[in-house]
Amino acid sequence: MKEIISLTRLFINESLGVSLFFYNQKYNKKEFYKQLFTLIIVPVALIPAYFMYISVMTATYFGLSMINQSSVFLSIGYIIATVLILVFGVMYVLSEFYFSDNIEELIPLPISQRKLIVAKFFSILAFEYIFAGLIFIPVLVIYGIGQGMGPLYGLLAFFVFLTIPVLPLSLVTAVIMFIMQSASLKGRKDMIQIVFVFLGVAAIFGLQIWFSSQLGSGDEVDFQLLMNTMLTSNEGFLNIIGYIMPSSFLMAWALNKITLMSFAWVAVLLGITFFSCALMVAIGERVYIKSIVSGKVIKKGKRLSGDARSKALTRKSHGAMAIFIMDLRLLMRTPVYFFNNISVVIIAPLCILLSFSFIEIPADDLQGIQNFFREMPVLVNFLLIAFFIFFGGTTATTATTFSREGKTSWLTRMIPVTAKDQILGRTGVAVLIQSLGIVFSIIAVQFFFPLALSTLLLTIILGLLGSLPILLFGLFMDMNRPLLNWDNPQKAIKNNMNVVITLFVGMAYTGLLIGISGLLGYFVNALLGYGLFTVISLGFSVVFYQVISKRLEVEMLNFE
Amino acid sequence: MLKLEQVSKTYGNKNEKAVDNISFEVRPGEIFGFVGPNGAGKTTTIKMIVSLLAPNSGKITINGIDNQQDILGAKKQFSYVPDTPELFEKIKGIEYLKFMADVYQVPASERQERIEKYLDIFEIKDAINDPIGSFSHGMKQKLALVGALIHNPQVFILDEPMVGLDPKASFELKKIMRDHCDSGRSVFFSTHVLDVAEKICDRIAIIKKGKLIEVGTMDEIRKKAGSQESLENIFLELTE
Ligand SMILES: Nc1ncnc2c1ncn2[C@@H]1O[C@H](COP(=O)(O)OP(=O)(O)O)[C@@H](O)[C@H]1O
Ligand SMILES: [Mg+2]
Repeated sequence: MKEIISLTRLFINESLGVSLFFYNQKYNKKEFYKQLFTLIIVPVALIPAYFMYISVMTATYFGLSMINQSSVFLSIGYIIATVLILVFGVMYVLSEFYFSDNIEELIPLPISQRKLIVAKFFSILAFEYIFAGLIFIPVLVIYGIGQGMGPLYGLLAFFVFLTIPVLPLSLVTAVIMFIMQSASLKGRKDMIQIVFVFLGVAAIFGLQIWFSSQLGSGDEVDFQLLMNTMLTSNEGFLNIIGYIMPSSFLMAWALNKITLMSFAWVAVLLGITFFSCALMVAIGERVYIKSIVSGKVIKKGKRLSGDARSKALTRKSHGAMAIFIMDLRLLMRTPVYFFNNISVVIIAPLCILLSFSFIEIPADDLQGIQNFFREMPVLVNFLLIAFFIFFGGTTATTATTFSREGKTSWLTRMIPVTAKDQILGRTGVAVLIQSLGIVFSIIAVQFFFPLALSTLLLTIILGLLGSLPILLFGLFMDMNRPLLNWDNPQKAIKNNMNVVITLFVGMAYTGLLIGISGLLGYFVNALLGYGLFTVISLGFSVVFYQVISKRLEVEMLNFE
Repeated sequence: MLKLEQVSKTYGNKNEKAVDNISFEVRPGEIFGFVGPNGAGKTTTIKMIVSLLAPNSGKITINGIDNQQDILGAKKQFSYVPDTPELFEKIKGIEYLKFMADVYQVPASERQERIEKYLDIFEIKDAINDPIGSFSHGMKQKLALVGALIHNPQVFILDEPMVGLDPKASFELKKIMRDHCDSGRSVFFSTHVLDVAEKICDRIAIIKKGKLIEVGTMDEIRKKAGSQESLENIFLELTE
């Protein structure tokens, strides 16, 4: 047990950079204050959002009590927490178990596989408990106060809370280990492995939904009927949620009303949790180390003839182009980067396509919606622009552009590439990704709401233009404080405050810009609205461009 | 060709100087060795020359260009191979070389010939289409050397170049260094082995604990060492 605890602490320390933090406190004050600043400012910045979450949940509770459905409340919170843990868990598990270099140093040491697996699992769990606490504890408290529950509820709630992250996380870990093993045995490249993992997780979700539809009303879910049953019977909605996440039943039975049976249900929940954890460890012991040892084969290229070499070498490219291609290749070929920066471009349009094709909108309703939009082209256009900026802002590709290079960044800093070429190349990659997102979503939308060519041209141009300041701001952040000292590419993105800051600043900025120019366009004059939007975007872009090109060469001297 | 004037550097908040008021000059056509025990400040000095670190004080000029006034201009004058070259693991060798040729704006006509020549010398032609992640340490070092030689730099700067190379590659590298200088260019490299410096350098500088102890030809320094105890001790450290 001692060994497991010290291993867990090692893994947590490693992923948070605790030692570096205290080293900086002693020897590198400037860096220390920078870190301390973000450590304080980011939680503070998140307080309003969190406050909003609590208010929404409180309002939900009162709303549900009003329609006599308060028993659903805990289940909703449970599902939210579980789904979020599942979604973020996939990346955490992949990162800790498969992308982290420490495992290769640990395998030769005389530590049992089981201890390694358990310690790695615990180190992820530690974060997930904080996460789950932030999301689920308010739900438990709101319900407890609302229903006037006593200390017994508190005790049982505590035990239920303990199980929350463990159950989904151990299932995800087991599935990922299983898939990574079968993929790596066939000697596939890491990219394919991760695609497999995502497919696998998607398949599990799909199966769940399929099951629930089978268990449900038979063929189609009749929405009207659903509403009726939900409103008339207290348990109706609860059942529907339960089909999606069976363990939520146990939780609901245990906590909705405290009876003697509650203890039994909590015991069952604890038992299932423990069992799933043990199952994960058992699977891990069989496949984990084995797949690490065998999965590290790098596929080699075929030998090049003299002709092929000369063809590849003698085509001369511009400096900006060289940077652009290198940055793009690193993004495409590093799975973590691909999934963080590029996958949204595919997933978001797919979501549009799927949600439109599953939700049956009656023909005259559709007609009505289309007419509504046709009467207010300015609003539609600004909505589209905001959506297009979303692809530029959310991926935050430029905010990690130097960080992603990590220890290889010496090369970037040594070569004589002008600041202009660096900016063009790196921003170009972000714009390319964004454009792909725009094109894909236009294709998806086009099936349901055909848009005029003029609308498309206007919104695409303004959408790209409007995101330029955010992209350049991201570059500016990463130039000032790149995160280069990592051993695992996941950290270059997930531990990188530049991403968070760029995201928040970008969202706030976009909201303001779209709000102001949209209001101007709607109430005063459309052209004036677009004009203001263009002027502001161009203005900020020019300012950031100037600042970066003046400072970049000097800042590169301070990267380490 | 390369000139350092009173260059100093401290890391973080320490009172200890990693490099303390160093001055020396590398002349055209010269192989210059920068010799000192581990932790003496060799890598720190080189990083300041190649614009990876800013000095706290002092001036560095490369081929007449001040590397703090005109960073970009100075960067065009040299190429640099670090002690452990970390290269993009996901990039193929050939893609790396094309990248280097592009960013140094090497004319299309010169690229092929030069690259082929060095690929042959270091015997990594067959691996050139593989991702760098599959290279061994020595192969990475060789690829970094080829990449650094593509633009035929005025000053060729190497940090501990012989560590990790096999004897043949090490021999070839020494020959390349000599050829490079014969055409009027210069080589500046660091080493903690006096033996290496003695065999190939025209002149050397000895650094210890951040301070420059001696600059000159091997003979000059050896003569002094006979009469000066401190220098003799350093020689002992360097020749163990
Ligand atoms: N990034 C760093 N942070 C703090 N101290 C450093 C750093 N890099 C080097 N040093 C210190 O500077 C001194 C010189 O190191 P270095 O230049 O690497 O020596 P050499 O290359 O001659 O072996 C050493 O005392 C070393 O501990
Ligand atoms: Mg060194």
